Amino acid sequence: MSYPTPATSVKLVLLGEAAVGKSSLVLRFVSNDFQENKEPTIGAAFLTQKCTIGERTIKYEIWDTAGQERFASLAPMYYRNAQAAIVVYDITKPASFIKARHWVKELHEQAAKDITIALVGNKYDLVQDDDEGQGEREGVRKVSVEEGQNLAAEEGLLFYETSAKTSYNVNDVFIGIGNKIPEAASLASSPEQNNNEGRIDLSTNASSNGNRNLCSC
Amino acid sequence: MAFFDALREKAVTTLNQVLDKNRNSGLTKHQQFCYSHHIPETETILSESAAEIGIKSDYSTDAYNDNLPFPQGRIYLTQSFLIFRDAFDRKNCSFSVHLSTIKKVERPPGSDYGFALMVSTYSKLHLTLYLVGIRSDSERFAQQLKIALKKNLVHVGKLQPFIQTCYSEYLLAKNKVSTEKVEHAPQGGLGLVFKFPGDPKESRDKTKMKLWFDLFRVDGRNLSLVRTPLFYKLVRVGLPNRLRGEIWELCCGSMYLRLDYQGEYNKILEDHKDQKSFAIEEIEKDLNRSLPEYAAYQSSQGIERLRRVLTAYSWKNPDVGYCQAMNIVVAAMLIYMSEEQAFWCLNVLCDRIVPGYYSKTMYGTLLDQKVFESLVQKTMPMLWEHITKNDIQLSVVSLPWFLSLYLSSMPLVFAFRILDVFFLQGPKTLFQVALAVLKLNGEALLNTEDDGTFISIIKQYFLTLHESAHPNSPNPKFRSITRFQELLVTAFREFSVIDEEMINNTRAKHRDTIYQNISSFVKRTELRNLPRTTNISQETLSLLYDRFYSVVESLSVTKGSGTSVMDYKVFVEFMSEICDWITDVNVDDERHFLRRLFNHWDTEKQGALTFTDLLVGLNSLVDPDLMTSMSNFFELYDTKGDGKIDREGILQISEDLLYITSPWKDGVLFDGITKANIENVIADEVYKKQVESGNTSPDQSEIQLPSDFQVDRDKLEQQQVERYLQAAATFIQRAFEYAQPEEEELLIKELAIDNSISHNAALNPNTPVYLNLPTFRMVVLADETYELLFGSTLREATHLERPLDTKFDPIRNLRDMFDGLLADGRKVATKVRLRMDSRAANGGGGAPPNSSNASIKSGAKREEEEEDQDDDDLGVISIDDNDKDLLLATEAQVVVKESTEKPRISRMESEKIIGKSDQNLIEFET
Ligand SMILES: Nc1nc2c(ncn2[C@@H]2O[C@H](COP(=O)(O)OP(=O)(O)OP(=O)(O)O)[C@@H](O)[C@H]2O)c(=O)[nH]1
Ligand SMILES: [Mg+2]
Repeated sequence: MSYPTPATSVKLVLLGEAAVGKSSLVLRFVSNDFQENKEPTIGAAFLTQKCTIGERTIKYEIWDTAGQERFASLAPMYYRNAQAAIVVYDITKPASFIKARHWVKELHEQAAKDITIALVGNKYDLVQDDDEGQGEREGVRKVSVEEGQNLAAEEGLLFYETSAKTSYNVNDVFIGIGNKIPEAASLASSPEQNNNEGRIDLSTNASSNGNRNLCSC
Repeated sequence: MAFFDALREKAVTTLNQVLDKNRNSGLTKHQQFCYSHHIPETETILSESAAEIGIKSDYSTDAYNDNLPFPQGRIYLTQSFLIFRDAFDRKNCSFSVHLSTIKKVERPPGSDYGFALMVSTYSKLHLTLYLVGIRSDSERFAQQLKIALKKNLVHVGKLQPFIQTCYSEYLLAKNKVSTEKVEHAPQGGLGLVFKFPGDPKESRDKTKMKLWFDLFRVDGRNLSLVRTPLFYKLVRVGLPNRLRGEIWELCCGSMYLRLDYQGEYNKILEDHKDQKSFAIEEIEKDLNRSLPEYAAYQSSQGIERLRRVLTAYSWKNPDVGYCQAMNIVVAAMLIYMSEEQAFWCLNVLCDRIVPGYYSKTMYGTLLDQKVFESLVQKTMPMLWEHITKNDIQLSVVSLPWFLSLYLSSMPLVFAFRILDVFFLQGPKTLFQVALAVLKLNGEALLNTEDDGTFISIIKQYFLTLHESAHPNSPNPKFRSITRFQELLVTAFREFSVIDEEMINNTRAKHRDTIYQNISSFVKRTELRNLPRTTNISQETLSLLYDRFYSVVESLSVTKGSGTSVMDYKVFVEFMSEICDWITDVNVDDERHFLRRLFNHWDTEKQGALTFTDLLVGLNSLVDPDLMTSMSNFFELYDTKGDGKIDREGILQISEDLLYITSPWKDGVLFDGITKANIENVIADEVYKKQVESGNTSPDQSEIQLPSDFQVDRDKLEQQQVERYLQAAATFIQRAFEYAQPEEEELLIKELAIDNSISHNAALNPNTPVYLNLPTFRMVVLADETYELLFGSTLREATHLERPLDTKFDPIRNLRDMFDGLLADGRKVATKVRLRMDSRAANGGGGAPPNSSNASIKSGAKREEEEEDQDDDDLGVISIDDNDKDLLLATEAQVVVKESTEKPRISRMESEKIIGKSDQNLIEFET
């Protein structure tokens, strides 16, 4: 058995209002797929995906949570020990942006101190003009780019607008997070059995040995 | 009178319920009885007796043959049911026969038994009840049954339309073993139109149907069905598609609700037609996300049914509203059930079977996860140790099983089989299956060290449930056993020890922790979303939050309902706990000061305060700024919002001020003035002693506080009482003196010059007058006591930061304060020092300062500033620059007289003039 590039495990949690597209972003990232009618996440879902950034290989352990308000009290169970978080809102739903603001606060107060957070405004395809141009459809967008940027700047977050449907910017989110995760914070990694490059679906990955990075922060 | 009777009855029942509550299950005995027989909670036991039962059906060929012993047990009569429970385990024979189905009750002739009754139903079932016991008791039971049947007659009309909705009736009528006319197949589920999931051949649907058909002939059907061992067996082997919905509702008892409340489902929808709600918004988001692979949910017919059922439920039970996972559960029900069936079934599911699963806090879900974990620990200690050692989050896997009743975890055909048992046996089914899943995958799971692999093993397992459990076995019979069958056997055999009692006990053990976790999360969230309250610190917020919920919860009739608003009665209790100035409140007094506060703070005008309302209100109540504090108070009475308070309002203010100040007026509490007086008295005394002993140098360390010194408490108390009475009298007099007549604005100049003001129209009770804010302030400021009331007295007697558990006794506190006064000698020492300084400055000849003329600067800074005070203690001049300019500008108009009373008047007048431009803080004394 060979021991190639050690993979860094990063525990990542997705938070945000119901139906903003959290599960869809994960599905796009993990399986490069999209489903028009995705069932709501009940409680939480867990998936993993490896991703190579330059020299490093990062193994994301993704905790995709349920978005409905009342599931929020379950969230602490999932973001505990998380090193990274993606807070998602729907750029056509102003209420989802308020929720996002709330989640950022909750993370800053309750999660690990040095957690890396990315703010993601999803469903960019909905505001895009049909004819491929750079322009935007009138009146569909309800949360401006500036609002997102401002919140990100205030709270020190990464910021992206994405579309899980067209896959626009989706990988960039994960790469951005990977770059920001300090190398030192994730040294506690063990060699991986599986040396496949790129994307590995969890279901084909059943043999991989556990190498959870139990960061004590 | 009837109203009070009803009220008393309600109180008694509530009390009984509390006393009667089983600590473990949280259910009353009455509830337990209803739940275990699946009947509505409105039923109560009217009569009961030991009995043996004989069952015979006109349609059965061999029925219960005579060799079989009659089942023995207990028979109960309630308003709508005749209930029998087998003495041993109920599985042998039990029934809840609805009285509406009973056609005839007779005494069988020539019975050897002491007392027998033969009950015949419309479905041609003959139940012979052999009552065991004293004959008179049996007679009474028979009599009660007769009365109950008579009373029930008004409901019998509901039976016919109901029969038309039961597939069992249709089945029997079609096969001519029924006297009922059921010509059309009842509406039923979407499966009738869009095909039922799974292969009916493979599930031997036809055979199952035949078995049920036979059972119905012998043991009755729907509302008059007798449960025998065969009944349980037929449920466990899986229900036939067309009967599934009906058996589900029969097993869980939602059928009885549907019978009783015919038409209510449609009425709810009609009543709320075109209405919007938050729950509806959430439902809309998920309509296309509910079993999207099933054909019906790609069509508007399926989506519409789903929308209607979820919406109707959200109106019916707004406390639950809509929770994700309900969409999946209802979508699944609707495959086998009509909308109405699904609606009532959902009701029973949420209220009874899995309470708290879908509630706003989801405490039921969280609790059962904890229960599940501890059952794993108990039954599979090795696996549990492995899970904890590797920090595997078990609930990520198991939570969806419970919440969506396995419907989102395994292929639907299998999930429905589990649901069959679930509706029959209750929530323990969910635990038994969950434990079996872990057990059957135990070996593989013990080899994993991370959540990912753990989850994928189980995912994989669910996807292969149809495969052989023993693919390599040489025995073909063994080979044909599927993994799913193995799962059921493991769940219901091996884990049959997991019964309701064990689950209830485990729940009781973890309930508190779960509540604590939830409430601390909810608290964090709520506190974070509050409006800014500048006068209340973060720690105080947290205390107020706890007090709010503790009071709301302890006083609400429906405990644990998750109410988050406070009604007036609760509000009074809350305020009494933190305000020393609140004394016995009559909650029926609509004109009480607290009622006024409550109404004013009730922003939504809903007769209840949210935590935010309360907080905003309290924040203004304790505003440290004198002027703001007065205008806040003024606003309470300015009900029209035009800045004017009429005669009636003025009288009310005076009355309320009398109420608010009563602890001081009655000498129960001391205000700042009295406290200063006490300090002065002591300081004088100390000073005298110092002079006598010849030590007059103002040396820091030398001042000794007397330990044996006695203050004339009664005298000081009396002074204060008089001062408050005086203040009240002065207030009302001045308020009317300076109130403006409605029609003509008095000329300011005129007023200022003519101090007698005898021609003031306001003094005539027939002239409509009003008090505006500047005048109100002026009148208050004219009196030191009331000025101090708004500046500090009231605020200091309002203890937002009081810890939750201390019951406060204002009387005791007063004594403590009084006695403790000497101990806090710092202020006294300062005063003594001031006197010495003064003596030194005056060359030792000066008289001791007049200690009775104390004046206290109101406001937050009082204490610090006191140290800088002039030793003559006569007064304070504190004018902020803004005000100074204004004051100087108007100075010319102010007539200042020399007398001791006049300066206050002049101050009032200047306030009146300046007040027009609503300027603040003027304190002016000569
Ligand atoms: N047009 C568009 N639709 C999207 C996009 N991402 C998700 N959706 C749709 O939005 C709906 C919700 O997506 P999910 O990924 O299930 O949302 P979620 O945030 O996981 O929702 P919960 O699990 O309920 O919290 C689905 O119908 C998706 O098809 C996107 O980028 N563009
Ligand atoms: Mg999701």
